[in-house]
Amino acid sequence: MTISLNVNGISQTVEITDGNTPLLWVIRDLLDLKGTKFGCGKAACGACTLHIDGEAVRSCSYPVKLAKGKTITTIEGLGNEENPHPVQQAWMEEIVPQCGYCQPGFMMATAALLDKIPEPTDADIDRNIINVCRCGTYYRMRKAIHKAAELSKSIETVKSENDA
Amino acid sequence: MPNNKKKISRRKFLVRGGLGTVGVVAIGSYIFRNPIRRQILGMANSMDMAYMGDTGNPMLWFEITKENSILLHSPKVEMGQGTFTSLAQMAADELEVPMHLIQVVHATTATGNIDGMSTGGSTSVSGLWQPLREMAATLREMLTLEAAKKLALQPKDLVLDKGTITGGNKTLTYAQIAEGVSEWDVPETPTLKSLKDYKYIGKPIPRVDLGAKVFGDPIFGMDATMPNMLYGTVVRPTKIGAIFEGADISQAEKMPGVVKIVQEPDFVGVVATSLTAAENAKNNISVTWKTPNNLNTEDIVAMMTVGNGKSTIIQKEGSALDEEEEEVVSLEFRSPIGAHAQIEPNGVLASVEGTRATIKIATQVIGLTRKEVAERLELDEENVNVIPTYLGGGFGRRLHTPHAIQAAVMSKAVGQPVKYFFTRQEEFQHDMFRPPTHHILKGKLNNEGLLEGLEHHFVSGDVGNNSAMIPSLLPTVLGADIGAIRGGFIQYTKIPNLRSTYWHVTLPFATSWWRSLGLLANTFAMESFIDAMAVKAGKNPVDFRLAQIEDDAAGKRLKAVIQAASDKANYQDDIKEGRAMGFAASVDAGTPCAQVAEISIENGAIKVHKVTCAMDPGVAVNPDQVRAQCEGAIIMGLSAAMHEQMYVEDGTLKPTIYGPYQMALMKHAPKEIDIVLLQGRDTPGAVGEPPLGPIGAAIANAVFRLSGKRLQEMPLKLV
Amino acid sequence: MKKKQTWYALFLAFVIGLFAVANYSTDSEEYSPIPTAEIAKEETPFDKMMRVLTHERCVNCHPNDNIPKQGNDSHPHYFGMARGKANMGFEATKCTTCHQSENNAYSGVPGAPEWSLAPAQMYWEGLNRVEIATSMLDPERNGGRTPEETMHHLTEHELVLWAWNPGVDANGIPREKPPVSKEDYIKAVKQWFEEGHIIPSE
Repeated sequence: MTISLNVNGISQTVEITDGNTPLLWVIRDLLDLKGTKFGCGKAACGACTLHIDGEAVRSCSYPVKLAKGKTITTIEGLGNEENPHPVQQAWMEEIVPQCGYCQPGFMMATAALLDKIPEPTDADIDRNIINVCRCGTYYRMRKAIHKAAELSKSIETVKSENDA
Repeated sequence: MPNNKKKISRRKFLVRGGLGTVGVVAIGSYIFRNPIRRQILGMANSMDMAYMGDTGNPMLWFEITKENSILLHSPKVEMGQGTFTSLAQMAADELEVPMHLIQVVHATTATGNIDGMSTGGSTSVSGLWQPLREMAATLREMLTLEAAKKLALQPKDLVLDKGTITGGNKTLTYAQIAEGVSEWDVPETPTLKSLKDYKYIGKPIPRVDLGAKVFGDPIFGMDATMPNMLYGTVVRPTKIGAIFEGADISQAEKMPGVVKIVQEPDFVGVVATSLTAAENAKNNISVTWKTPNNLNTEDIVAMMTVGNGKSTIIQKEGSALDEEEEEVVSLEFRSPIGAHAQIEPNGVLASVEGTRATIKIATQVIGLTRKEVAERLELDEENVNVIPTYLGGGFGRRLHTPHAIQAAVMSKAVGQPVKYFFTRQEEFQHDMFRPPTHHILKGKLNNEGLLEGLEHHFVSGDVGNNSAMIPSLLPTVLGADIGAIRGGFIQYTKIPNLRSTYWHVTLPFATSWWRSLGLLANTFAMESFIDAMAVKAGKNPVDFRLAQIEDDAAGKRLKAVIQAASDKANYQDDIKEGRAMGFAASVDAGTPCAQVAEISIENGAIKVHKVTCAMDPGVAVNPDQVRAQCEGAIIMGLSAAMHEQMYVEDGTLKPTIYGPYQMALMKHAPKEIDIVLLQGRDTPGAVGEPPLGPIGAAIANAVFRLSGKRLQEMPLKLV
Repeated sequence: MKKKQTWYALFLAFVIGLFAVANYSTDSEEYSPIPTAEIAKEETPFDKMMRVLTHERCVNCHPNDNIPKQGNDSHPHYFGMARGKANMGFEATKCTTCHQSENNAYSGVPGAPEWSLAPAQMYWEGLNRVEIATSMLDPERNGGRTPEETMHHLTEHELVLWAWNPGVDANGIPREKPPVSKEDYIKAVKQWFEEGHIIPSE
């Protein structure tokens, strides 16, 4: 089966025999983007969270055949060292990661949250951010989420000033 | 030239030509001395462990690249604890280079500089504090001597700055100085700088791995690849103690993508072209297991009861309490089986070619992994190169990684590299769990309302005993499990009559090291009991504790953290606006820590709003990362104390997935964590585990103040 | 001595009686003295339909408290997932973050088109079969459906029919299906509606 999809702005075509293969493994093993993590394979921990057409999705539970023609963003496409996404910037400013393994999933979930709720309250965060972190970085993550909201807001302000 | 120089023969140098780097070797001289039994037991609880790497042979610690950055080959692995950053700070300060010039990489067994023991026990920074700084300082002096030669000046006339050495009007980078040098003058170990002169040590420097972890770089074991790599799986039983007898592979063999079914006397594995193909084939293998038992949680609880197994008195002062006496108060406590539940499953990539093997793995035991692979494949140890990766969580789970053997066997069978990792179900059912415990605390108050006698009788499964890492003779010599007794000692040293008795029971499934070992459960029991006795005595629990600690060096540090936590949290016994506070303190690996938990009860559930933590780890090489360890330990400890529990049903360990295995999520983590760091000594001490001690008891004690209920079992539940 | 034995026999008969009742009542909320073996032939279309609609596969997604239930023990959905504003989960973490348009055999996550909770007014959890049927026919509580539309919904909607293709759980074990076959259920629903959708008194 041939599946065309757009990953981080690049059109990709994947040849695969089992269309039910989780998107996670296509992203990691065929497209060699290792930032999206395997944690449980049961959509329980959230380490594999990425965006499909702008929505947060746990890719271990998403068959690649459904990704046909969809636009996918992974942590590698969220931002980079030169141009970090506000979430990544906030994560660095708050020095959030410890072991770091769950962090891409959390950052992707957070980016999706800020897209829906630009200035989330603690309650908004508690409802939506339900990934699992074993190192216990939740305390700093909450601070980083609020900071990312501020950073996004200031970017928006700069943008609109530039436009005007 | 000073005459106190000794020349190290060229043979002892590792000069790495042709790799774009200039190699420099340093030799440590730190030998672990075996103290006698009582001292080791004491050490397990209170002292720091020395660095246990093989320092008798030359090993590659530093390399200077042509671009003038310095590679530091870390003998310790980075599993989130921040060791790489602290080591970089230590090296940068003594090498006189800015932080960004230091790149920390994992040493491999081929480069030699691995810790022969492990990364664990909160010893990485404290153990390397002296040797690493001395080696960095030695390298700095070697470069100075060499620069003096090249510039034809005296070392005293040279100025070191940001990885360069200037003399006269000429400036050389360290790379330029080191280039082409094959014989170095090695000075006697230089005097180290004083603490106040350090630019990086003691400062909250951002983690060196921050960028890699925020941008999703492929740094973990799961991310490792090799050309022509195949995927392996191993069939694992779901029942405790099941023994592999044989397998019918006829179905699986024919499945698409299957390269080979590998049958060994002790396991059957599948090698396939993709992970899903390997998993699908595995599910079609029918295995015959011999299952010896159908245990249930009640059986485990019955086994894990004080009085079962072998006992050792680990602490004894004065006389035992007379159980017949009416005034003797006794309370029992229990803790459940705990899973590591680290998010990166155990995994490994192995490539066996002829007489050589390469193993890429997230492990806390590099040397042991090499030894086990070499033994199984009958290879020379020096031909097995173990390349450690970043760990997606350690917590003790990777203090034995024998799955490297299975991957290596599969790789040998197919002649290609094989990557193999656990499913989450396997991760939960084949964990090496935190053992369940049972505690009986007994105490008696005197006329002044202070403790006249205090006893802790407790039982635990294996932690250090039967661990592959510990020499099998050691537990026999010591009599007690060095892991299980962590936190089992009574820290209220003024009490005239003390007993701590440890009972040991080996369970029918693997139990082992779990971050902080016995500390969490032992402190939960002990500090809940102290709280109960303070209540009985009608005393403030802070004053009650302070009054019963000796004024020796360790006691003063413990008192200081107790006072600091109490002051910072403004601890009080009263309920205010529906919230109550709970207090607890512990000493682990020489680091005292006290915590105050502030809670409310909402719809019958305990809600932790704020935790105040005062800790004295000595010198905090990186105070920000010490704080991060405190925050993480508090949340992990809260998770274990309030939510987590494995159970046994019909011979099977359950649950097998996050969710049913309840853990603290974002919404459960306290929104406020207030940390006070004290420095009660001038060297770094343990950091990663000590702050896990008090949290369970602090929460339980707050619950008592709010509800009048003394919770005696983890996970803490009101219903 | 003899007296004791009589009492014992009576007691035993009582216990057996209780057991029979208990055994039967697992099928529905209501009490019925009809022995289990006779149910099959005596069963009305209503009985049949309601044996399905009171099964966990159906009720788990018609909660009375905004929290979806999971499994045959109907435990609250893990991780605090709940209804959200549009029955589709929260703002960024929605039902579709994990649940797709079909079951996933690798993860054990169930899925079907329009995977979501039934709207709050359509709650069935805690209701008996008579109350469920009443609710189902009440336009105020059935989304304004006519009886015919309700019949179509019950017999054609993919999310409803998912109950007979519930997939496997996280450990790869097949989920339990409702106690009546899909074909018999559809036939029963249609017959009940055709016969005037009369709700019995109990």
